[in-house]
Amino acid sequence: MASNSALESTIDKILKNTEQDILANIKSGLDDSQQNLDAAVPKLESEYDKIISDGKKEADKIEKQITGSADIEARNKQLMALEEAVDKVFSKLLDQVANADRSGDYSNLIKTLIDEATKILGTSEIIISTNVKDKDIVQSALSQFSGAELSSDTIDCLGGIKVKSKDGAMTFDNTIDARIERMKPLIRKEIAAKFGVGN
Amino acid sequence: MTAQGRIVWVSGPAVRADGMSDAKMYETVTVGNSKLVGEVIRLTGDVAFIQVYESTSGLKPGEPVIGTGNPLSVLLGPGIIGQLYDGIQRPLRELSKASGSFIGRGITTTAVDMTKKYHFVPTISNGDEVAAGNIIGTVQETDLIEDSIMVPPTHAGGKISNLVSEGDYDLETVLATTEKDGQSIELKMYHKWPVRKPRPYNKRHDPIVPLLTGQRVIDTFFPIAKGGTGSIPGAFGTGKTVTLHQIAKWADSQVVVYIGCGERGNEMTEVLVEFPHLKDPRSGKPLMDRTVLVANTSNMPVAAREASIYTGVTIAEYYRDMGKDVVLVADSTSRWAESLREMSGRLEEMPAEEGYPSYLASRLAEFYERAGRVRAAGSPDRDGSVTLIGAVSPSGGDFTEPVTTHTMRFIKTFWALDAKLAYSRHYPSINWMNSYSGYLADIAKWWSENISEDWFNIRSETYGILQREDTLKEIVRLLGPEALPDEEKLILEVARMVKIALLQQNSFDDVDTYCSPEKQFKLMKLLVDFYKKGQQALKEGTALSDIRELGIVSSLLKARMDVKDDEMPKLEQLDKDMQEQFKSISGVKVSN
Amino acid sequence: MTVEGGVQYSKIAEIKGPLVVVDDVESAAFDELVEIETTEGEKRLGKVLEVGNGKAIVQVFEGTTGLSISGTKAKFVGKVMEMPVSKEVLGRVFDGLGRPKDGLPDPIADKFVDINGEPMNPEQREYPKDFIQTGVSVIDGLMTLVRGQKLPIFSGSGMSHNLLAAQIARQASVVGKQDDFAVVFAAIGVQYSEAEYFRRSLEESGALKRSVLFLNTADDPAIERIITPRVALTVAEYLAFELGMHVLVVITDMTNYAEALREISAAREEVPGRKGYPGYLYTDLSTLYERAGKLNGKKGSVTQVPILSMPSDDITHPIPDLTGYITEGQIVVGRDLFRQGVYPPINILMSLSRLMKDGIGEGSTREDHSEVSNQVYDAYSRAQEVRALAGIVGKAGLTEIDLKYMDVGDTFEKEFLTQATDENRTIEETLALMWKIVSKLPKNEITKIKDKYVEKYYKEE
Repeated sequence: MASNSALESTIDKILKNTEQDILANIKSGLDDSQQNLDAAVPKLESEYDKIISDGKKEADKIEKQITGSADIEARNKQLMALEEAVDKVFSKLLDQVANADRSGDYSNLIKTLIDEATKILGTSEIIISTNVKDKDIVQSALSQFSGAELSSDTIDCLGGIKVKSKDGAMTFDNTIDARIERMKPLIRKEIAAKFGVGN
Repeated sequence: MTAQGRIVWVSGPAVRADGMSDAKMYETVTVGNSKLVGEVIRLTGDVAFIQVYESTSGLKPGEPVIGTGNPLSVLLGPGIIGQLYDGIQRPLRELSKASGSFIGRGITTTAVDMTKKYHFVPTISNGDEVAAGNIIGTVQETDLIEDSIMVPPTHAGGKISNLVSEGDYDLETVLATTEKDGQSIELKMYHKWPVRKPRPYNKRHDPIVPLLTGQRVIDTFFPIAKGGTGSIPGAFGTGKTVTLHQIAKWADSQVVVYIGCGERGNEMTEVLVEFPHLKDPRSGKPLMDRTVLVANTSNMPVAAREASIYTGVTIAEYYRDMGKDVVLVADSTSRWAESLREMSGRLEEMPAEEGYPSYLASRLAEFYERAGRVRAAGSPDRDGSVTLIGAVSPSGGDFTEPVTTHTMRFIKTFWALDAKLAYSRHYPSINWMNSYSGYLADIAKWWSENISEDWFNIRSETYGILQREDTLKEIVRLLGPEALPDEEKLILEVARMVKIALLQQNSFDDVDTYCSPEKQFKLMKLLVDFYKKGQQALKEGTALSDIRELGIVSSLLKARMDVKDDEMPKLEQLDKDMQEQFKSISGVKVSN
Repeated sequence: MTVEGGVQYSKIAEIKGPLVVVDDVESAAFDELVEIETTEGEKRLGKVLEVGNGKAIVQVFEGTTGLSISGTKAKFVGKVMEMPVSKEVLGRVFDGLGRPKDGLPDPIADKFVDINGEPMNPEQREYPKDFIQTGVSVIDGLMTLVRGQKLPIFSGSGMSHNLLAAQIARQASVVGKQDDFAVVFAAIGVQYSEAEYFRRSLEESGALKRSVLFLNTADDPAIERIITPRVALTVAEYLAFELGMHVLVVITDMTNYAEALREISAAREEVPGRKGYPGYLYTDLSTLYERAGKLNGKKGSVTQVPILSMPSDDITHPIPDLTGYITEGQIVVGRDLFRQGVYPPINILMSLSRLMKDGIGEGSTREDHSEVSNQVYDAYSRAQEVRALAGIVGKAGLTEIDLKYMDVGDTFEKEFLTQATDENRTIEETLALMWKIVSKLPKNEITKIKDKYVEKYYKEE
């Protein structure tokens, strides 16, 4: 038995050693995987963060885009509304001018317009055109402008005159329409200011 | 009788006016209702051709043109230093008071503050006879600059009377009167001088004193003399402006005139911001106290660009006449030539090469001829100099274009900037094979007397190494460096060291930006000694790799930045280290 | 408002190319705006190039096609060309002459400004030194853009310059409030799709409401191109110097602008300079580029990134050449890198930012920025030399250190230069990449960086 027990003890020993080996192996395996796990967590977390932040970036982008576009759309609607108002004011203004009283001050205005035109053209040899309504007023003003003639053709305008040099080379548009057109940007600015838009 | 005409034609900066039979060539005139400044440049019958120095936008035929009776002139007197002028000597600071951040038109100003008082010290007495150019007294213009008040060059001279005593006076004060032939003429602190007419002097000297710029590749390799002429051509991006700024900063002259002719606005701003904070290495005073800026940037009217060169050089001559050394830097003469071309085109003149007028060469010659070291007119005896340095901006970096080729005929120092060097960040990108200096022989004496008798030889040896390298490079390009014997590989190695340690210079490094002549010479000598020791070592059988790996190599390469001008003993130490390190490898033989 | 001017002349002496010569003109001013009326009543705009002896030479922006000697009328408007400006131009799209192209009414003008502008007084300029982070490594790291700078992109046909410009415009953030930032985009003779790409890119980043677009596309009149950059810059100056915004102006393609200029010059039979371009091309270009800058006592800034395509990729061609002499550096797009599929394909050795030195360093980017950038330039330049040598003598003929430089070249191109079009890198990330490149070299090869920075940032792998 002694030999037996010797054998057994040897087997025990071997078993024990092996067991320790196995245990040690298992432990180190566990440690390893624990370490791996430990290492993996922050990595996972950072990946998770990345996914979140990418999503957030994307969301931000879309939000920016939407709010940006919405801002612009709202502003543009405002601009259109404003323009409508401007147009209304203008058509009212034009109506008023077209139907204005042609007596008194108006004939002085015509004289001023003719005078201005001759100065700008640098000649008094001119042909004046006007609309049907103003024809008589212009005709009566002509006496003060030697060299000026009234054209037999009438033009379509709200009022005022159009002046042409007799050689036909130069034209100067001094109709009320043209003058209003030239003033339009300023009038628009004023109207806009009343609406609280612009500067 | 001054001319009074009317505009008949407008095209850009060119205006024609009739009724101008009383006008004189190069007379200044006021043009149009907004009173723009112009100059008559051609007369045909009663029609004057006028170049206008301000934008002609909105100008109409029929508007008046009125002559002033005077040619385009500058005001010369105290108050010029530290100013930033436009091309016709209007102070830009004053213009901004009138028109804000942008330059308006038709603004009249005076070039200097006429009401500022300066402390006048007379140097003559009542009863003295004076002639044109004589100094009658001095005023301190800035901390750095003492002005001599001179009898104007065209003055008839005479006997001094009514001389004021020492004291503070403004520019309009009559300091004295001269009496001659019953005529009395008042002398003030200032006078005017037409810009297109060189100021007279007594006689010319040879340029034999180097203008030291603290830039190694210039001072050591391609020097310029005081009163000399130099040109710096280069494609864009080659560091032309930085090099010119370096010269304006560190040149050992008393006055610097910097002309920004058709260049960037921010470059002038940079000078304005930087110069007041930089100290002159010799006096310790702010550099702005010796600098005058003339700025006609590229987007300012083109005719005033043409005038800016003359405005600048006349101011330079004025300080020369006081007996000062003046450096004038013009950046860029190409833009000036283009303004000539544009006016010539509007005049419908027959063009020569690339549309430039046929008189381009003679105009360039006239300009560079205004350089020189001279004995000033009048007494006491004094020598002054104007050194002219012109940048050239060749189109496409091509040195065969008209402005570069004509300029090369009239200058003696040529610093060729090289785009390839700039691309590899070798700054200043002055190409050592294409550049030259005609003053080398003349100024060698100065180096020999002041720095070292060996200067000329050492410089020749250093340059020789660079030349050898240039030929060897061809072989390397074809066969690779391993094809060369060690003896020649050593040349490549030393040439590389010369390039890094000597030719390259970092203008943004506090130490390296300026290099004293002593340091320049000692660095160069160390490199030549290294080469000789290396040759010797190779002969004795030392391996090239052992020489390359010596610690001294990197010390030599960094010495330009590590050793300050007042630390020359450090360079002596480097010399000792080098001797010892070579000794330490002298026993090492090539192993088989 | 003045009622002066407005005289219409009907005697047309000559029509040639984009020019109309009007006879018997009593009163016209140089540079004056002209309204041309065709026989059919169509109105076109132009301006006076030359006036005198009863003649006025008028350049017609929309071209002279369809004009006839009889029946065409020219009205001299009595003022130079002006652009209406106000805050409301933001978010708007205009044509090449500054007229609304988005179906909306004319902007309500705060004021009307001469589109030619006036030269900035150099004495009143503020030297530009504020770093702009574009998020593009190669620019931020090696050719830093600063507020108020003019830094063009030199490219060639078909390359990715527009992608880059759009990326810069999207990402260029300046320190401070975002509201202070605006983009002005001027398309000059480019294809509609390119202009549209840019617009969409701004829209997607939400920047459209802070942008103003001026579009002259390839099918729009060529002479109009003379005006497009001017109206754009006029608006930019207003936003910057009146409203205090930091404005980034992108102009593409300046080559089309120069060609329009050449067309006019040829029609006037002027003596041509190089390649048929007028002798005053430099001066003319400078009147655009010099409108970039900062001003003393004003909050805003105008930064310009003009794009030009170099004909035959030739950098010595007059357009890039003269541009380079005026601008403060250049960003050069390289054909080789583009062919290899690198984005952004920037040839750093030919590129440069002159104002970089003042925009970087401690307090703005980082203390080591200047030196590490010098070292990267140096290393990449050496890498290119080694590559060339390797092409001749083969890799076997290279030394060990040569091979390290080859590695530097590869890392540089693959990791630093290469970047996605939507990748926005911080300056810290950019600098870290630069140190990664430098750290491929042994320490004794690092000659451009102070030891203290090497100790701090050098990381051997």
